[in-house]
Amino acid sequence: MDPSVHLDDEHAVFINSTVNSVYELINAIPGSHLVLSYVKNAYQDDPFRIILELFLVFFALKYMLSKKYKPQDNAVKLTEKEIDDLVEEWKPEPLVPPLSSFDKLNLEKAPLIIGAQSVKPKVAGHAKPLMNLASTNYLELQASERIRQKAIDTLKVYGVGSCGPPGFYGTIDVHMDLERDIAQFLGTEEAIIYAQGFSTISSVIPAFSKRGDLLVVDDGVSFSVQKGVQISRSNVRYFKHNDMQDLERVLDDIRVDDMHKRKLTRRFIVTEGLSANFGDIAPLAKLIELKRKFKYRLILDESQSIGVLGARGAGLTDLFNIDAKEVDMIVGSMSNALCASGGFCAGNTQIVDHQRLSGSAYCFSASIPAMLAVSASEALKYIQEKPQILCDLADRSRSFRQVLSHKSLENLIELSGSDVYSPSPFFHIRVNPAFLRSRGRDDISREDEERLLQDVVDECSAQGVLITRAKYVYDQERKCPRPSIKIYVTIGLTKKENDKAAGVVKSAIVKVFGKWKK
Amino acid sequence: MATTTNSLQVPGIEIQPPPISSSHHHPQQKHQEKNDTTSTLSATGSSTGTTRTTTRARTFSLSSLVGKTRRAYSVSSAYPPKMIHPSLVPASLKPQENTLSVDNDVWFHAKHVTPAQRRNSVAAAHRKYEDFQQKMEEAPMFILVSTYLNYFVLILFGHLRDILGKVFKRSEYAHLRTNQGYAPLVSDFDSFYTRRMYMRIRDCWNRPITGVPTRITAILERVSDDFNKTFRLTGRKIDAINFASYNYLGFAQAEGPCADAVEETVRDYGVSGGSTRAECGSLDIHREAERKVARFVGKEDACIVSMGFATNSTTIPALVGKGCLIISDELNHSSIIFGARLSGASIRVFKHNNMGDLRNLLREVISQGQPRTHRPWKKIMIIVEGLYSMEGSVVNLPELIKLKREFKFYLYVDEAHSIGALGEHGGGVCDFYGINPKHVDILMGTFTKSFGAAGGYIAGDKVVIDHLRLKNHSFCYAETMTPPVTQQVLASLGIMRGEDGTENGRNRIRQLADNAHYFAARLREMGFIVYGDEGSPVVPLLLFNPAKISAFSREMLKRGVAICVVGYPATPIISSRARFCVSAAHTREDLDHALKLISEVGDLLMLKFKKAQ
Repeated sequence: MDPSVHLDDEHAVFINSTVNSVYELINAIPGSHLVLSYVKNAYQDDPFRIILELFLVFFALKYMLSKKYKPQDNAVKLTEKEIDDLVEEWKPEPLVPPLSSFDKLNLEKAPLIIGAQSVKPKVAGHAKPLMNLASTNYLELQASERIRQKAIDTLKVYGVGSCGPPGFYGTIDVHMDLERDIAQFLGTEEAIIYAQGFSTISSVIPAFSKRGDLLVVDDGVSFSVQKGVQISRSNVRYFKHNDMQDLERVLDDIRVDDMHKRKLTRRFIVTEGLSANFGDIAPLAKLIELKRKFKYRLILDESQSIGVLGARGAGLTDLFNIDAKEVDMIVGSMSNALCASGGFCAGNTQIVDHQRLSGSAYCFSASIPAMLAVSASEALKYIQEKPQILCDLADRSRSFRQVLSHKSLENLIELSGSDVYSPSPFFHIRVNPAFLRSRGRDDISREDEERLLQDVVDECSAQGVLITRAKYVYDQERKCPRPSIKIYVTIGLTKKENDKAAGVVKSAIVKVFGKWKK
Repeated sequence: MATTTNSLQVPGIEIQPPPISSSHHHPQQKHQEKNDTTSTLSATGSSTGTTRTTTRARTFSLSSLVGKTRRAYSVSSAYPPKMIHPSLVPASLKPQENTLSVDNDVWFHAKHVTPAQRRNSVAAAHRKYEDFQQKMEEAPMFILVSTYLNYFVLILFGHLRDILGKVFKRSEYAHLRTNQGYAPLVSDFDSFYTRRMYMRIRDCWNRPITGVPTRITAILERVSDDFNKTFRLTGRKIDAINFASYNYLGFAQAEGPCADAVEETVRDYGVSGGSTRAECGSLDIHREAERKVARFVGKEDACIVSMGFATNSTTIPALVGKGCLIISDELNHSSIIFGARLSGASIRVFKHNNMGDLRNLLREVISQGQPRTHRPWKKIMIIVEGLYSMEGSVVNLPELIKLKREFKFYLYVDEAHSIGALGEHGGGVCDFYGINPKHVDILMGTFTKSFGAAGGYIAGDKVVIDHLRLKNHSFCYAETMTPPVTQQVLASLGIMRGEDGTENGRNRIRQLADNAHYFAARLREMGFIVYGDEGSPVVPLLLFNPAKISAFSREMLKRGVAICVVGYPATPIISSRARFCVSAAHTREDLDHALKLISEVGDLLMLKFKKAQ
């Protein structure tokens, strides 16, 4: 209402008559006199109540007529013309930046395999097949006729795609079989499978840890874990990579900080079993001790370790002989050692059931094709039947490391995870900082280092060995590891071939590093 | 009349830009409409006529509350599309047989749009998303009231059971309490909906199947002895007509040319790619699939990713970042939201498929710049889906492209459901409207649906795709698409493009369009409230009351029809629905049989809200 309008007589008469007629109207309703007399009595001799209620009415009106509250609203009022001009003037950046010469090198040098992925694949630009030390085909399951046949049998019953998310008739019986197989293999109550290894952990973490919850994360975790941590929007604390003393310190700090807090939040320790970036193994026994002491739940990413570590290949719990039920969530991938596709999360029934509705990559994505699920099941069976292949693998890895730990290389490179006897089937070769320092100035960039390592890779492939640099999305990693060559050993190569390949890598390093000038 | 002639220019945009005067005139007029409707909607008169910076309707007002609940019904307001009077169609555009060669992948180079494309474009231009009258017609008031009441009773009983249960059955509620110093894994409040509502009707989801999910699927029967807490398979199989799988073109097959090709590939290549694409998992068939997909969708290059969800969630962060803005449709898929959050860009949301709202929002964000600092945005990317799988609505691409001209944003279209399923050549929304794909910056799609495979693709200009090959998370860290799946993509794509020299692919696409039209039209005739634009292979049927979700699903299964039912939170709380995915594999008899059964159940559950025609 506009207050500036004057009430003259006509208005007064009008209002009076309206009020009167409303009063008569109310009177006409049977029983209304009871209400009216109640209202009259209630307000008699009670000015405080009248003031209070008037105030309430006023407040309600004010609230309703007020502008909607927008946090941090500092919008500038602009006229139509100004908006038009601004829209006209605005120039976006190009959708993607132009490729740098290093980008072009990366694109160019990514090997293209002609035909099947195998221990000796044909690579574009090379006449002869190369010895493959760049694929996760550790156990030579890639070539297994048995798995291929099983996949074809499945194809003939189930087709390829599942054509729907698990919730909408995308759960096929072979998926349930695989879930059971994984749970049995690891020794957990249940398991749930996802359609892609990479997306598994980045979906598992936010399914449980929400805003306000607490994640204590190893600072060397792989990219997919980082993304899961990021999207959960929880509070995050980092501890030094695989440093249990530091973890204890962080946990203790938090305990002290939280003393006065009344509400208990969910708390998780997130780490990787076998680190993709460093190739070392988390001390699980100590982790479990700490998690118990400080009442945390443990999320363990075993994407790299499932199928390779431990006497049965069941990962870290197997290696350390710890009951898998002690770890709250074991997350793994079926695309690495198992040479199938997809990922899984194993845990107790409550944990698995919760993900069937809250794991976004489970709920909102089509389930894994039946033939890939069956391949994974079959791969698990194969490893259980022939556990000695795991010893062979450890053997190959050890002899390869021994060659590269030779004195002549000491000043040039360092192997991640200095332990030669580590059962990890892959490791990183990084340039020794002392070598870089010895070559003059300190401003040697990441790109220079990468180019140096690429030269080693090229030299190796010229000598018949396929290796690769570890690839990262540099600008999106939280703390991008230093450039490295990642070597994956495989039992597909015989002992002799393995040693020969190691020799090739060694001499390539000596040759390329010797010639390198900044 | 004036509007009709104006909108006739819509398909022309791919040949030459429309005269500036008309492009200015049209949005103005759109805006006028928008203002009219908002003032109808909000009786408080909050619409400010002069300054167009959006003052949105306040939440408290009754009228806007009604508007909000009703908004959910407005998606199908384009239906039925207005037909163009034949005299208005220029002679050159009159239906011509065989104007297009069988070589399908050059459809976007065709000089003229086909009559169907033209009709779709016109319908898009006429779409009104806040059409109040339409909504009143569609949703009877008593349904709204009873639905809210239904939820009210459910919530009341849920809390009652919680209170009593926590007192008398402490052990069963242990997981909701702090236990030995551990906070509960899921909080009492957060899990209320799951425990007290979803649990009652949990048997309608995650039903296990066996065999191929084609026109008939074999469902494994299961029973629960503890009120849906656990299930037990009985060992029996129920054969049901399958309206649940996204098998649009019927490529979910265990035999035939695709399966043969896949078998061959498994023998040659094995099952896995063995590494990431960036390290050493790039196989020759990946490159071949990428080239073919790029050609099929009409872009320079494409890259493929091993999982559909990850295609969005790992690509969006590679395109935009801090200082950029993502404008997203409110009903966008979870994977887009996931990716958008990961990217670190600011996110704004516009009303579903509502180009008026989008226009206002664009003017606001560009003129205001970044929050607090008011610096101009680095980039603005609009992300929409081609076909919305819960609504059956097709994105209003012609209007979007007009806006793109004016506002210079980048356009990302997720064709997860529309690729293969829309358009006369299966080319997705661009084909549906006859728009040259060059107007869309990023075309994303999945192979899960129409191709009967798995994974997804991103198509765009070469420089964009090269950038993605380096920065897309899936390329650097995730497994490659497995050879058998890649082969399935190649084989089904070959058939769709007619490379096998047969009419097989064309027939499938035609069959799907026929089936979709027929099925939706018959459901509407029967008096059901059906969403979705004309031609959508996803047909949502509105159930409203939560109790009817389970009833409909169970009754249909009893009669041998497998359908998806969806409720809150996947849909607005009021508009629970059943969703039918029509496939080219369905025969007319299948559809007729299913329609008869649906009609039966519809009578039983009183779902025919409109008068049967």
